[in-house]
Amino acid sequence: MIADNYRVTTPSNPAGIPAIDVDDIRFSYGDTLAVEDVSFTVAPGEILGFLGPNGAGKSTTIKMLTGQLSPEAGKISILGMDMPGQREKIQGRLGVCFEEKNLYLSMTGSENLKFFAKLFGVNEFAPEPLMERVGLSTRLDDRVSEYSKGMRQRLMLARSLVNTPDVLLLDEPTAALDPVSAIGVRDIIREEAARGAAVLLTTHDMHEADDLSDHVAFINQGKILTIDTPENLKLKHGTRSVRIRSRHGDDIDEQVIPLDDEGAEDRIRDAVSTEGLMTIHTEEATLEDIFVEYAGRGLT
Amino acid sequence: MSGARIAAIMGKDLREFTRNRFFVFITLLVLVAYVAIFWFLPNSVDETIRIGVSNTVLNTDVGGLTESGTAGLVFVHYSTDDELKAAVEEGDQDIVAGISLPPSFLDDLATGTSPTVRLYVPAGLPAQTRLLLEGFVDEIGFAITGNPPPVNPTTQAVVLGTDRAGAQVSMQQQMRPLLLILVLMVEVLALSSLVAIEVQERTAVAVLATPVQIVDFLAAKGIFGIVLAFVEAALLGILIGAFAVNAPAVIVVLLLGALIVTGFAMISGSYGKDFMGTLMVSMLFMIPLMIPAFAALFPGSTPGWVKVIPTYGLVDAMIRITVDGAGWGDIAPALLMLTAWGLAAFAVGAMVLRRRVATL
Repeated sequence: MIADNYRVTTPSNPAGIPAIDVDDIRFSYGDTLAVEDVSFTVAPGEILGFLGPNGAGKSTTIKMLTGQLSPEAGKISILGMDMPGQREKIQGRLGVCFEEKNLYLSMTGSENLKFFAKLFGVNEFAPEPLMERVGLSTRLDDRVSEYSKGMRQRLMLARSLVNTPDVLLLDEPTAALDPVSAIGVRDIIREEAARGAAVLLTTHDMHEADDLSDHVAFINQGKILTIDTPENLKLKHGTRSVRIRSRHGDDIDEQVIPLDDEGAEDRIRDAVSTEGLMTIHTEEATLEDIFVEYAGRGLT
Repeated sequence: MSGARIAAIMGKDLREFTRNRFFVFITLLVLVAYVAIFWFLPNSVDETIRIGVSNTVLNTDVGGLTESGTAGLVFVHYSTDDELKAAVEEGDQDIVAGISLPPSFLDDLATGTSPTVRLYVPAGLPAQTRLLLEGFVDEIGFAITGNPPPVNPTTQAVVLGTDRAGAQVSMQQQMRPLLLILVLMVEVLALSSLVAIEVQERTAVAVLATPVQIVDFLAAKGIFGIVLAFVEAALLGILIGAFAVNAPAVIVVLLLGALIVTGFAMISGSYGKDFMGTLMVSMLFMIPLMIPAFAALFPGSTPGWVKVIPTYGLVDAMIRITVDGAGWGDIAPALLMLTAWGLAAFAVGAMVLRRRVATL
């Protein structure tokens, strides 16, 4: 089983019980199979990037993890509890950031957070620190209907954190964000993982997945194609070479040096010391390239 | 089921309701307008029939007919034929018709000549009433000439149901249940809009990803709907004097009415795509539900099929309590029917909303 390969032990979780343990789940909408034989685990403090095109089965998987849908086959265990059998207990420790901005528009940002804190049974909840964390402290008492798309997205993330969750399910958390805000959100995701939360992150952004994820899972047509660390995937599927470009008068010289070739180091040293050096690039594959290799199609 | 979570959702719904200017405006407007309408309506029924006459012949109280005002018949005299016609057309002094006797009326009767009497009737007067008035003209002739009809049948009036002669139900009393039902209907729209927003904005999905269970969610919507509709109806009821007789029974009837409309609101809210869509779906339910209230305005004309409409029991019980002063025993059948419909409507509404939320 794939899941066992990624069991992580920590001081607070010496047995290495995965925070999320999904085993061979299946779900179909009528005759259309949406998810089949999907298995993965996410350890506490780990970020798993869940990558796939639209309709690949990511949202259906998340719906099964939140208890919205029940798998037709297979088993889901979250924090050692069975989903949907112990749904209420599990949901109390889940934080979910949906792709759609399902916020109460007529209420303020602060009221939205307080309402969800009540649903989670969080006593003495103060929204200010969370709003500060997502950069909305100045808009605390403004109605959400007056928020921009990016602000709503940040409020969605804040809402998913009101109960200090042990498991975070984030569906496209940086969609609609400007680059600076996206960096802020990624920092928060890292902080949450560092706190010990298991994070399942679905995204179309391969760079984001590469940047944040400890492991990435490629999913296409309802099936997981592979799960590995981004580094391993790039090593397995990329070319270990360096592309060097330099200018000689009006001519531009470009050479590709395979790193595994004999004398590669000398060739690189020579190329770098040459006058007119313009650029040096490693030739490792991107996650997008690797996804195409697995799925036979891109992410969009 | 968690009381704290249900209370949290209801609090949120109340906040959303009060933030929606349209809902608040409509709610207040309905209260003010309905109360005003009620108190402007006549609270008594004038049972006298006024007939205009244009000849002085009857001024001398021929045959004692003109004194029959004491029996509900009043003659209003006009000096000319034109004045009489104008009075009938304009409904002057509430006269229902005008009788124009020719100047030779008494002489003709004395000589055995048949006089031509003009009967002025407004365009909308029912044919039966016109025939009645024609017969009445004959009666004047008989009274003056002293020639009775060859056979005088004995008429025995048998009143079926409550004899309201001299104690008719005023327009105010008739309108009371109608206004209460209308206000409940207005809350159908408000609640179904709140449900529709929750479905369309998919906020229900976010709520159900927390420890809130679907039962909590449905209970919150149901209780909020019932309370909202009941409070509005009860407020109106207080202002239009609906609690003057058997107040506990009125409260129970209004609560059951609120239960019914909440069930229908959950159905229409589940299927409304936007405000207009919700309005259209709500109207599908609101119009049939209002039929029993309108039927109550015309007692005795209620067809059998109206009695199976869920709100019939509500109207029936309200009329019996507020008009006839009925007790619990008298309204028991209506309450039973109302309870059955209330539970059925609420159960179906909750089931529909549950299915809708599950497919989000």
